[in-house]
Formats: sequence, C-alpha cells, structure tokens
Amino acid sequence: MKVGDDMNILKGKNVNLALMLFVVTLFEVTCLFTLLSKAEEQYKMNIIITMGVYILVQFAYFFGAKIILKRKGFEVELIAFLLTSIGLSITASAYPTLAVKQLIAVLIGVCGFVFVQWLLRDIDRIMFLRIPIAICAVGLLAFTLVFAQITNGAKNWLYIGGLSIQPSELVKVAFIIVGAATLERLQSNRSLTKFIVFALGCVGSLFLMYDFGTALIFFFTFIVISFMRSGDIRTLALVCTGAFMGGLLVLMFKPYVANRFASYGHVWECFDTSGFQQTRTMIYSTSGGLFGVGLGNGKLRDIYAATEDLVFGVVCEEFGMIMAGAILLSYVALLVYSIRHSKYARSSFYAIVACAAAALMLFQASLNVFGVNDILPMTGVTLPFISRGGSSIMCCWMLMALIKSVDRSTYRFGGVRQ
Amino acid sequence: MKSIGRRASTLYALILLFLAGCGLLYFNLVTNANDWAMNRANKHLYSDGALSTAGDILDANGNILVTTENGKRVYSDNKNLRIALLHTVGDTSGYISNGVQTAFKDELTGYTLLDGVYNLKRYGKGNDIKLTLNSKVCETAYRALGNKKGTIGVMNYKTGEIICVVSTPTYDINNKPTDIDTDTTGKYEGIYLNRFFSGVYTPGSTFKVLTAICAIENIPDIDDKTFECKGKILIGEGYVICNGTHGKINFEKALNKSCNCAFAKIAGELGAEKLMATAERIGFNANMPDISGKIHCSKSRIDLTESSALDIGWAGIGQYTTLINPCHMLTVMGAIANGGIAQTPYLVSTITSPEGKTVFSAKESTAGEFLTADVAKKADEMLRSNVKNRYGDSYFPQMSFCGKTGTAEISDDKNVKPNTLFVGYSQLDNMPFAIIVILEDTTSSLYEAVPVASKVMKAVKSEYVK
Repeated sequence: MKVGDDMNILKGKNVNLALMLFVVTLFEVTCLFTLLSKAEEQYKMNIIITMGVYILVQFAYFFGAKIILKRKGFEVELIAFLLTSIGLSITASAYPTLAVKQLIAVLIGVCGFVFVQWLLRDIDRIMFLRIPIAICAVGLLAFTLVFAQITNGAKNWLYIGGLSIQPSELVKVAFIIVGAATLERLQSNRSLTKFIVFALGCVGSLFLMYDFGTALIFFFTFIVISFMRSGDIRTLALVCTGAFMGGLLVLMFKPYVANRFASYGHVWECFDTSGFQQTRTMIYSTSGGLFGVGLGNGKLRDIYAATEDLVFGVVCEEFGMIMAGAILLSYVALLVYSIRHSKYARSSFYAIVACAAAALMLFQASLNVFGVNDILPMTGVTLPFISRGGSSIMCCWMLMALIKSVDRSTYRFGGVRQ
Repeated sequence: MKSIGRRASTLYALILLFLAGCGLLYFNLVTNANDWAMNRANKHLYSDGALSTAGDILDANGNILVTTENGKRVYSDNKNLRIALLHTVGDTSGYISNGVQTAFKDELTGYTLLDGVYNLKRYGKGNDIKLTLNSKVCETAYRALGNKKGTIGVMNYKTGEIICVVSTPTYDINNKPTDIDTDTTGKYEGIYLNRFFSGVYTPGSTFKVLTAICAIENIPDIDDKTFECKGKILIGEGYVICNGTHGKINFEKALNKSCNCAFAKIAGELGAEKLMATAERIGFNANMPDISGKIHCSKSRIDLTESSALDIGWAGIGQYTTLINPCHMLTVMGAIANGGIAQTPYLVSTITSPEGKTVFSAKESTAGEFLTADVAKKADEMLRSNVKNRYGDSYFPQMSFCGKTGTAEISDDKNVKPNTLFVGYSQLDNMPFAIIVILEDTTSSLYEAVPVASKVMKAVKSEYVK
C-alpha cells in the first residue's frame, strides 16, 4: 500500500500548535478575566481555580504530547479544549459553585481521552475486550432502567452518593467501540446479528427510559456503523423504514410521547407553555447580535436548563452568533477530519470508530441546536462540550479519542508527519 | 480500505444536511432578529411587559417627552402635554399600537442585528428620537379640543414636518383610568386609536375642495357658470338638500357658501370617472407611505363605480361612502398651498445614538405633483376667498388664511349629531402651515371647528413667526 505517497496530501497541513495554543489560551484568559469582573467576591476563588487549573492542564497535555511523546497533529485536541473552555466559562459564570465540579468532570474526561487512546492502540486488546464491554454497557443501562429515578420526564439518571451520572453518555463510547469491533473481522451474519442484538438492547433500554433523544442518537450511530461496515444501503433503508414504522406505532399507542413534541413547528403559539424554552432561546439568541452582549450579561441563563439544553442560545446571546456559528463548524470539522483520515486508517476499525464518533457528535449537535430553535422537535439532548454536565463532557472527550485514533500519526504508524 | 474511504465520503452528505440546517437556522435568526429581540418577554428591554430601557423622545425644541430613569419610562411632567401626546408618543405596554414608542422600539432600544442589545448594556439606553412636534402647539390643540372627541393635525407644507398631532379621547399615561375596559357610556370609544393617523371620516363639505379641483381641471368655463339654488335639487330619483337657499350663485360663491345644489350639479356634470380620477391622483384608494417609514396611515377611500346619479351628487358634497384619513387630507391641503406639490409628512427629525452620533436625519421628500401649479393657484384663491369673504379673517388675523369647513352627517338618526371639520392653511411664506380639525358629535363647523383651528393657528403663529 502506497500509504506514504497518498498521505502527502495530508502532510504539511498540521496547524501551528504554538500559535493555535496561544489563540485558545488568549480566549480562555479573556473569559477568566471577564468572569472575575462579574463574579461576586466569594466565588472568585472558585473561578480562578476552575479556569486556572483548566489552562494548566491544557498546557500539561500539549507539553506531554508534543515534547515528551513527540506527537504531531493536534487539531482534534485544540477544538476539544476550545469548546470545553466555552462550556466551562458558561458554567463558571452561571453557577460558580458548580464550576469546580464541572472542572473535575473535564479532567476525568481528558484522562479518559488519554486512556481510550491507549486502549485503542492495540486492536487485539479491543477484540478481546469487546464482549465484556458490551455486557457492561447493556448491564449499566439495565441497571439504570431498574434503579433510576424519573428526572424531567426521563428515567436516565443514576444517583450514587452525592453524584448524579447519566450512564447513557458513557455507553455511547462503548457502543461505538463494540459496534466497530464486532464487525471488524468476521464479516458474517452472525457478527452482524450480535451487533443488532446489542444495539436493540441499548436503544430499547433508552426508549424505556423515555430518553428518546439519546435513543435516536444510538439508532443513528448504529446506522452509520452498519453502513460503514457493510455498505449495504438497501438493508439499512429497510431497517430505517422499520424503525420509522416502530416510531409511529409508539406515537400512536403512547400519545403522551407525542405530546412531548406537540409544540414543534409552532412554538410561538405556545409562548408561555410548551414553547417557553424555545421561544426564549430565539429571543435571546437574536438579542446577542453578531458579537454577543458579553459573558455574564445574558438573560437566557435565568431560564430553566439554560446551561444544558438551551446552551446554544446562551452562546448566541453572550458570545454572539458568529462564535455560535464557529462552534457549529467545529463539529463539521471533526467529521471532515475523520472522513479524510479514514482512507489511510490502520484498519477499518479506526475508520469506523472515528466516523461514527464524529457523526454522532454532529447528529447530537443537530438535535440540540435545531431542537431549541424549532427546526426539529426538541428532544433535550446536550450540546457536545458546551452543555453543563459531567457525564456529557466525559463522553465527548472519550469520543475525541475515537476520532483521534483514525490518524496514523496518533500511534506513530505509517511514517507520516515526521 | 478503499471501500471504507468511499463509504466514509458518503458521510459528507450528513455534513451538507447539517450545513443546510445551519443555513436555515441563521436565515431564521437574521430575518426575524428584530421581531424576536423586540419580544415583550425579552428582559433586556422590558420589565413587567413594559419597555424599561430605551432612549429619550424629544420634541422639535429638545424638550423631553419621555426618558428612562432607573429602568422606568418617565414621561413629561407637564400633565396636559402628556395627555395631548399620548397617542403620538405612545405607551410601552402595547395598548397604543401606532405610537412612536412602539413603531420605533428598535431605534429606541438601539437594537441592531450587528450589536444586538450590546449598546443598551453599555450605555443603559438606546437611541434618542427627536420628533418634529411642537409641544406648545400640541398642548394648545389638546386644550382647544376640550372634552370633544376628534383630532387636530398641523404640518409644514413646505417641508412635510408634522408639528402637531392630537387625538381625543385620551388619558394621562401616568394615571390611566381604571374603567376604560368596563365603561359602557362610550366616552372612551377608540381611546387607544390615534385618529389622525389611523382614523377615517366622512369628509362632508371639505370634499367640495376636491370636487372644485376636478371642476377646474375638467370644465374650462366653470367660472362663467351660474347655478340655481332653491334649497334642494332633484337628481335622478331623489333630492340633494342644501344648507340654505342661495338663489343664483357662481362657482366661487358656491364654495364660499358651501352650496350643495351647485356642487351636486357640478359633480353630476363631471361624472364618476373624472371625480375618481382626480381623487385617485391625489392619493385616494392608495396607501400613504408609512409616516417616517414606521407609522401606518389608514387610506382615504372613494368608490363611485356603481353609483347612481343621485349618489354622485351626494358624493360631490362629501356625503356618500367616501372616507378621508385626516393625515392624507392634510397632505392634500398642503399640496394646494405648495403650488400643487405634496410634501411627504414626517414625524421623526433625527435619531441620535448614545455616543451622540446622528444615526438618522429626516430628508424632505415630495409625495408627488398632486395638482398643476395653475389648478393649485385657482384652488388657493377660492379657499382664500372662503376665509376672507365667508368665515372671517378675524379668526386668523394677519395669517392670510385659506380653508374650507365641513359638516359630515354620519347618521340618518336626527339625535346623532354630525362631525364638523375644518381644513386650511396660511399663505404666508414665514408660516407655511396647514391644519385639519375634526370634531365628532358637534353641530356647527363655523362656530365650533373654525374657532378651534383659530386657537391652534394663533399658537402656531406665536411659536414660529417671531
């Protein structure tokens, strides 16, 4: 395989790490000072710790990767660190008391990012682990289904001690790894069947938790993985049609499910009822103009779930529509990155995990952003990296590892970027 | 590996879909930006549903009509002025839909798509709007209206500046009557309506000005004609009744005395087509451009397409289905005064940003040549004759005033009093102002509408002629 020649296309396109890191850090420091200028005295320490530690960790990561491990190509991490800093700033601004907690989740996420990269390095290890991972994933969902309490109409939160976690977020990563690994070598019907059973288990559990948004994300990811593996559009079309019919049946027999989306398409008529969050998001998004009213000056943050479901509106309002657009484009960039590197991936496994992870993130961003702006029904999923929430941010960082794994230079295979 | 690469490339379709969605999202945000940001639920701009942070509104002399203090809108401390300008300045809670505060809320809040409400955050207020209104004249007009319902408007016919708009009934915005919604006596009828911009009225004899103009344009020997008035005139199947018995009377005297017999006859001679053609040329049946681009005017309406000869006779004296909008009628009077050229009326002279930069400055513009200079001159002479020979210059001393009264019967019920009207203007170069007065539920245009106009024009004179 003339990988070396082909990959010259990608060669030399490495971003200048020092420059980009400078820009990202400048942005973060600006956020830090803006936060401090608005914060009440007793919260200033929280903010300094949160943003300060975050910036230090960021430098430590790049130092370790660049100087010690002599890695090349940091586009994925730069995007992840930048997006995370926006989310962290919004959390620190709206809920200074929760900032450190969110920071800890980010740190766990970054560790997870490094760990999953290591995990994926050895394909045999993955093959060996795929069954245990699958069992753990389905087990975790089943456990949630049994023990979770209903929060905001969905039964998808586990409370352990003082911590609340959303297992479905962690299962996303496992789902992609298991899916790609199950289909990796044996291209037999049996392995496909296994994956379908696994996928059905996950999507089904989520349905039973009334977490339709996440169920849809899993289903979408299942389609992407299956397509990447088999290329069989006809079968997938059949599966989609089947799922669509199934969805219709659910709506018919469980009308309360449909009620959740009743205001879709006419939220302005349900201004103070079911369209409350969407209309407020739109009102405050436009209030920000192109450049925003500044971090901490927004009013959308006073609306319920502003830093989670409606966070895109907060970004529009406080950072401006241009910044919000840049965030949307960065999800696109991650998928483009994955697609471009797929051709040269070490094995199809890496191509599939990367594309599936990036597509998942793009799809989830669509559900969130278009949902709060009434272009799609609102499903209450988080905006990757930006929404407040520990499970969500950890999942995002681990998905980054999946994306990163497609690049040969991540594991210094293939002799490029030297 | 190749197939994986190819399949991965299929995912570009997802990106395209996503980008299309983003395109739609931004299209929605940009095209609806003003509507959405100005929504009453926006706490940047509103508190308790009322605009709380907005720039000042000033009169032509820089007097503050409304400002923002501590997040509350504070109106002029002159009670009569507050009441007089209720409809024009408008409220912030949305009852008065056509006021400056509602129509110009984007400007007042300083909202722009580019900066959002950022300027508001930085300066605590938006742009200031300076109106063309003269507070003294408006206050005088309000006092002159007394407890009658109606409207008064005054504009500079050379520039188009509206210097006075008052509409009654009205109320003090600082002390809104609590019984508006429960009242059944009708004293608050149309209280939220600015009659000057949004109202339409039967013109009565003021329409004879238009019939006269049409006659000047279409009947070359109109001045040589005489008309016989026996108190009523048979047209087709019925009579048009006159306000007196004028005997033999020429064109000019017919207008002086507002002779219904003469004008019904002239209208019959002109016919529906010519009357409509003249009326439509001067703006009937068409929307006026919104005042200062934002304040909507109702349109004046005329329809003689299926009228009988008797109907046309009544239409010629302003007693048919024809309706005039006060602002439009005033513009027409201005055109006669201004040699046939109608100036577009406007209300906002400048908009100034919080940094002191003038972001908008009104430009004079014409609404078109309503009349040829010759026709305008002839009409002008006849209207001057009305005041000089009929109503009396004593009402408008040293103003070289022109005008026409009107009494509009609005019901066959004898207990319902008519509306009285007066339209007029001064010929003086240093006092280029036209006025319209409409008083509802009154009896005599000469003894009620003209004295009101007199009071207002005297105030105009003392304000503008030094």
